[in-house]
Amino acid sequence: MIPLLLPVMKLLFCRQSAGDEFLIRITTNHLSLQEVTRELEDDSAGALSIFMGNVRNQGRFGNVSEIYYEAYSEMAEEKMREIENEAQTKWGIKKLVAIHRIGNLKVGETSIIIGVSSEHRHEAFEACKYIINNVKTRVPIWKKEITQESQKWTDGILLE
Amino acid sequence: MRSDIQDNDKIKVRLFAVLREVVGEREIIITVPSGVTVSYLNNEILKKYPQLNSFSNKFVTSVNCKVTTGDTVITSSDEIALLPPVSGG
Repeated sequence: MIPLLLPVMKLLFCRQSAGDEFLIRITTNHLSLQEVTRELEDDSAGALSIFMGNVRNQGRFGNVSEIYYEAYSEMAEEKMREIENEAQTKWGIKKLVAIHRIGNLKVGETSIIIGVSSEHRHEAFEACKYIINNVKTRVPIWKKEITQESQKWTDGILLE
Repeated sequence: MRSDIQDNDKIKVRLFAVLREVVGEREIIITVPSGVTVSYLNNEILKKYPQLNSFSNKFVTSVNCKVTTGDTVITSSDEIALLPPVSGG
């Protein structure tokens, strides 16, 4: 059995190696700051910038109890990868993690984590800001605010 | 005789968020003549699902994960989706 498995393991390893510095995910799982921080560790990076987006208790339609996030996951992954590549080109960052959670999230839960490590702080701050701003306007993800009285999709930006 | 018969394509269209809820389906099938454009498809969708008319200027159409213009020609092997305004983050 072991000899038969070896080629597959090697393939998985190769693919992981090629992309391990730029992991991107759309997930239904809880987001872990610890895991993201671990992914960003790099001895040549002197700066690490993290943005976390959390569900607020106030929304456009009143007191929010939770938010439902939906994604066109295949396209969302592709668009996030495109944004990541742009950030890499602009600032030469060391490592990057961008994960968006979908499904029902309660107040206080984290919907998105963007993490960037770079040699100096300027690149990490700017890349992090660029990525979250572009995720909000270019990635096919939608949110529905759920209050005691209603469930409404929030207005957004038409993709170009 | 056969050359007079127009070939049809069954186009699968994915729906998201408010559009999915309004139609009540995640995916719809629209039959169109072969070689039509995104504009033609969208008109057929609005005819079949008139409840989408109030959203007609509030969505874009993607073909194979790329937002397209109305004159893009589609085939049954394309992955097509209607995307309302996005609001992630």
